[in-house]
Amino acid sequence: MQNVNAPREPAPVLSTSSTILNMREKEKYIEEFDFPFCDESSKYEKVAKIGQGTFGEVFKARARNSSKKFVAMKKVLMDNEKEGFPITALREIKILQLLKHENVVNLIEICRTKATLHNKYRSTFYLVFDFCEHDLAGLLSNVNVKFSLGEIKKVMQQLLNGLYYIHSNKILHRDMKAANVLITKNGILKLADFGLARAFSVAKSGQANKYTNRVVTLWYRPPELLLGDRNYGPPVDMWGAGCIMAEMWTRSPIMQGPTEQQQLILISQLCGSCTPDVWPGVESLDLYNKMELPKGQKRKVKERLKPYVKDPYGCDLLDKLLQLDPAKRYDADTALNHDFFWTDPMPCDLANMLAQHTQSMFEYLAPPRRPGHLRHHHHVPGAQAKPNPPPQDSGYQDRVF
Amino acid sequence: MPYWYYDKKDLLNTPSFRDGISNDTENRYRKEGARFIIDTGSKMDLGYNTVATGVVYFHRFYMFHSFRTFPRYITACCCLFLAGKVEETPKKCKDIIKVAKSLLTEQKFSTFGDDPKEEVMTLERILLQTIKFDLQVEHPYGYLLKYAKCLKGEKSKLQKIVQMAWTFVNDSLCTTLCLQWEPEVIAVALMFLAGKLSKFEVVDWNGRTPKHNAWWDMFVEDICMELLEDICHQVLDLYSPQTQPSAADSPPPQLVAQPTIRPVLKNDKKPSVTPPTSTSPVAVAKPVVTPIKNGSDVKPEPPKMDMRFTYPGYPPTMPPYPPMYSAPPPSIPPPRLPLPPGPPLAIYSEPPPARFPPVNVPPPNYYPPMPTRAPLPTRGPIPPGPPPPRSYYPPV
Repeated sequence: MQNVNAPREPAPVLSTSSTILNMREKEKYIEEFDFPFCDESSKYEKVAKIGQGTFGEVFKARARNSSKKFVAMKKVLMDNEKEGFPITALREIKILQLLKHENVVNLIEICRTKATLHNKYRSTFYLVFDFCEHDLAGLLSNVNVKFSLGEIKKVMQQLLNGLYYIHSNKILHRDMKAANVLITKNGILKLADFGLARAFSVAKSGQANKYTNRVVTLWYRPPELLLGDRNYGPPVDMWGAGCIMAEMWTRSPIMQGPTEQQQLILISQLCGSCTPDVWPGVESLDLYNKMELPKGQKRKVKERLKPYVKDPYGCDLLDKLLQLDPAKRYDADTALNHDFFWTDPMPCDLANMLAQHTQSMFEYLAPPRRPGHLRHHHHVPGAQAKPNPPPQDSGYQDRVF
Repeated sequence: MPYWYYDKKDLLNTPSFRDGISNDTENRYRKEGARFIIDTGSKMDLGYNTVATGVVYFHRFYMFHSFRTFPRYITACCCLFLAGKVEETPKKCKDIIKVAKSLLTEQKFSTFGDDPKEEVMTLERILLQTIKFDLQVEHPYGYLLKYAKCLKGEKSKLQKIVQMAWTFVNDSLCTTLCLQWEPEVIAVALMFLAGKLSKFEVVDWNGRTPKHNAWWDMFVEDICMELLEDICHQVLDLYSPQTQPSAADSPPPQLVAQPTIRPVLKNDKKPSVTPPTSTSPVAVAKPVVTPIKNGSDVKPEPPKMDMRFTYPGYPPTMPPYPPMYSAPPPSIPPPRLPLPPGPPLAIYSEPPPARFPPVNVPPPNYYPPMPTRAPLPTRGPIPPGPPPPRSYYPPV
């Protein structure tokens, strides 16, 4: 089946296989078989490339049978796979088939291209999702998009609701970041990109889990992963939720370390040094003694975020999410019960605000956000100063549709 | 049709049958393919879950394609290859092929073509499309353990029954039962069979209510005796000497008289399965089972039949049990299985909580209920400012 261009001969006739199809018959069969459960991707028409997922490109596409129905198609990259259909894609599919929730991206179906001589009788596969107009990174990089406090609360409430749901179903996302948080034009938030997600279990006594700690985009990676923990759990996503929450005000990722070491330093500068005092058990993590860790740093979460966040409840919740010790970090349920969500202004719908923006905003299509980290406290601008001058908004809207 | 269960008449009119392969021959092919997956998987130390998942893929695949188009042993390899990845116990394709080659005659292995690995890769895509990417499959094993926990009786005897039922479940993979009944139903039937053969009558069980006539009423509604016996027969037929020895090569002689498929149940309606209370939702990673090695002495003894059906000779024709695979679990409740070492995103040892219907039969648009949230926690320190009264919970 490989050498499709070579002159093809019928498969060797075996004494016992006279009834088995020869190769050419089989190719024809594969080409013509109408898989009842797996539609052809040609039922959608690609409109634009909107992103690059963990294992392939993402396109916006329109259903041919309905010009109003848009989807996102994520191509399953298989070209360099020695072991067939990637196990990461299989995981993502299994997890997405399990998770059905308003705040989790919805997998509609999996489509294929037709197998032909041209592709050596190997289909390409696409995961087809409901289309979401924006991602949070794209929205935050556009200065014209302004979130009120109530709207920020709504974003965070939906995000935590999604996390609460997936964690209740024993799934870790493991790639929380603003670009993986989608928002529809109606203001519904969806957690997306489960390409790194996995199921987790609560570790039994004496039976620690051994997960890879090489997950989560560096800037959103929690200290336990950076210190080599392999028995982690939902708190890794909660750290990401904290980073994203802060970003709702700072408009750019708060800790943009270029290396793992640097990331830990940035974390210590914000959250204080990782010591057994504030984090019992940290000393037993693999890299605790192998890495040079900043000593004597004081915790300054509220102090440094206050100029941006202002709302004291917001500051308090951030403080609870950006806890060094994963055991002390708020879980999604506790966070949802925080006063931040139950005080005026109450969370309010995003639809009206988003209605002013008729163009999609995706990180992939936006110019790189200014690498303006959360500045160190003596650099933090005064209350009235605008944090992080926004990127130019020319240049990217034209590239959107 | 996202439903993976078939009536008997559908099982007679398969793509292979329409392609000129007799039902008996097809059943033999299925049995050989399944047995081959079991043998290959056992030899590679794959757990029962992975093996069973591979076999279910295999049976589903041939509800859409003919054995003439896709020779069984390479399909079997492909199913095991995919199941390994899905169950988080991946094996390299070339290693599977190597083991397959060692288990097959040269002639049978020749159906793998000139480049077996490439053949498997191409076939994998066809397999995935055929099975609708329904990757997560449930098996009867977990139900056996669940049921056993509730039954009252002498512990050692109960253990023996579970072990016997476990072996029956292993062997049931060689039948098309997984295309006919949900794993809960198969587990009930084969537990029932093991009880019968051990002369163990279950008279009481935990959770019994006056409405229950038999212990399984607690778990599955409307299971009638005819259905149970039909399922048991299908497994016991495997041990019947009339069945063709699997050594015969393909295609087989077409004239072997075979016991015909039993008449369709009077009550052809499938029992409605109660929402399984311990169904694991897409349990993304299943525990890798350390093969159980203490089961060799508990192979079911040739029983004296006291059930209504006739029972042809048992052990002589029984396929040997691969010790790594078919040995029953060592104890009830299931042991906490050790997690495999090493990185590639290993395994977790406990299925997620039950909140979902079996994943292979999702009702359309079924949204699993949100777990109920715990009541408000005690509050941490609150930032300055008195919290305004909390008037209502906004809609979430």
